[in-house]
Amino acid sequence: MKMLAKYVFTSMLFVFCGPVLAFNFGALQEQLKAIPVPPQILKQLPVSPETAQIIKEVVGTSQEEEIAIGRQIAGDLLGAAPLVKDAKLQQYVNNVGRWVADQSERPNLPWNFGVIQSSDINAFAAPGGYIYVTLGLYKLLQNEADLAGVLGHEIGHVIRKHHLKILQQSKLVEAGGNAINRQVDNNEAVQKLIGGGAEIVSRSLDKDAEFEADSIGVVLATRAGYDAYGLPAVLQQIGHFAKNEGSVALLFKTHPLPDDRLDKLSLAMGARFDRIKGETLAQRFYHVK
Amino acid sequence: MKLLKIGIAALMCLLTLSNAMAAKSGMALRTTDIRKEAFGDAKLVGKLKAKDKVQILAKDRGWLKVKSRKGNGWVRMLSIRKGSYKKSNNEAKGLLSVASGRAGTGKVVASTGIRGLGEEELKAAKFNAQEIKLAESYSVSKAQAQQFANAGKLVARKFNYLPKVE
Repeated sequence: MKMLAKYVFTSMLFVFCGPVLAFNFGALQEQLKAIPVPPQILKQLPVSPETAQIIKEVVGTSQEEEIAIGRQIAGDLLGAAPLVKDAKLQQYVNNVGRWVADQSERPNLPWNFGVIQSSDINAFAAPGGYIYVTLGLYKLLQNEADLAGVLGHEIGHVIRKHHLKILQQSKLVEAGGNAINRQVDNNEAVQKLIGGGAEIVSRSLDKDAEFEADSIGVVLATRAGYDAYGLPAVLQQIGHFAKNEGSVALLFKTHPLPDDRLDKLSLAMGARFDRIKGETLAQRFYHVK
Repeated sequence: MKLLKIGIAALMCLLTLSNAMAAKSGMALRTTDIRKEAFGDAKLVGKLKAKDKVQILAKDRGWLKVKSRKGNGWVRMLSIRKGSYKKSNNEAKGLLSVASGRAGTGKVVASTGIRGLGEEELKAAKFNAQEIKLAESYSVSKAQAQQFANAGKLVARKFNYLPKVE
């Protein structure tokens, strides 16, 4: 099992543009202009107009909207791959994940973690704090620090709103108007925004977003008291899978290759972790039967 | 028959041996220092060049203890590719392919109850209200997570985010 080693991440977003083209983009422009961002905030920032626009869009989505979007995506994902029916496993993953997430600047999101029934090697993050790891990936992990690192990567996507920004850049979020605010099951307005099923999670983020999430993952694991090298160890293991292997196909399609990620991490980590001792908690790690 | 048993035993023995040996080998990915201890400022023992082979003896945090023609000591884990996993993974990969129903046809093998999760499956996914509620029922509070951390003797500490690498 050791040689088999570790795993994978994927952050998928469900963004599907097709059905949404029916929206009236003229009206949308008007709605965009109407986003209530205090103008003095934008003026105070020494940024380009493009950046200011992005900030405006991010500010324009409330936390409630972010959570409603994420919940819909999560429900879709679970429709494709349900939870592994092992309550102890799910509780364990939530404990580790919440502890790591609490070391971030967004400890107040309704963080939810889970292991889903799929032999693929991947992990998914949706806005608002919904994070799921496949059983295939979980089985590659060797200790709690590995899990913390993997979850830390996904938490990085959530706190930096990587997926939400894709939705915002495609100018879809605002089109939903107030409909997003309603917390209902299977919110049709939200589903229209995110497109077909859970496809948004199979969208690639840009490479920098993945490198940033890796970097955040090792830092959050370290802050939580874990060994910093869980995530790198997992990436090393994933790097040994053939590129045409089915179980990693989507992961490799949507992420930079593991060797590139390790190169970047190596540069970013440098000697900063030399004096940092952390726990791996291999004994406490929950093994799936 | 007896001969066959001996033959199998010998084969197993060989396999175990080769696996054990393979598990400890590695290769330098780039020029990297070999140090006497697992610290960046420990005494320099030697230097590995890219593609130099090493034997891996132990691991400590981000460091591997290695034996090599350029010297014995500690090198940064991220500068080494562990060469052993390739072969073992090929075997494992075959198994995984079968389990995910992706060997050959790309069709899902329903009988295993476990399936792959590709773009098609995600696109066709339908919202599962019951499952998301079940998932949310496992969420824990800050206080519960703190208790869990205490039980594992995990102590939160400050650590800055890393600078962006260009």
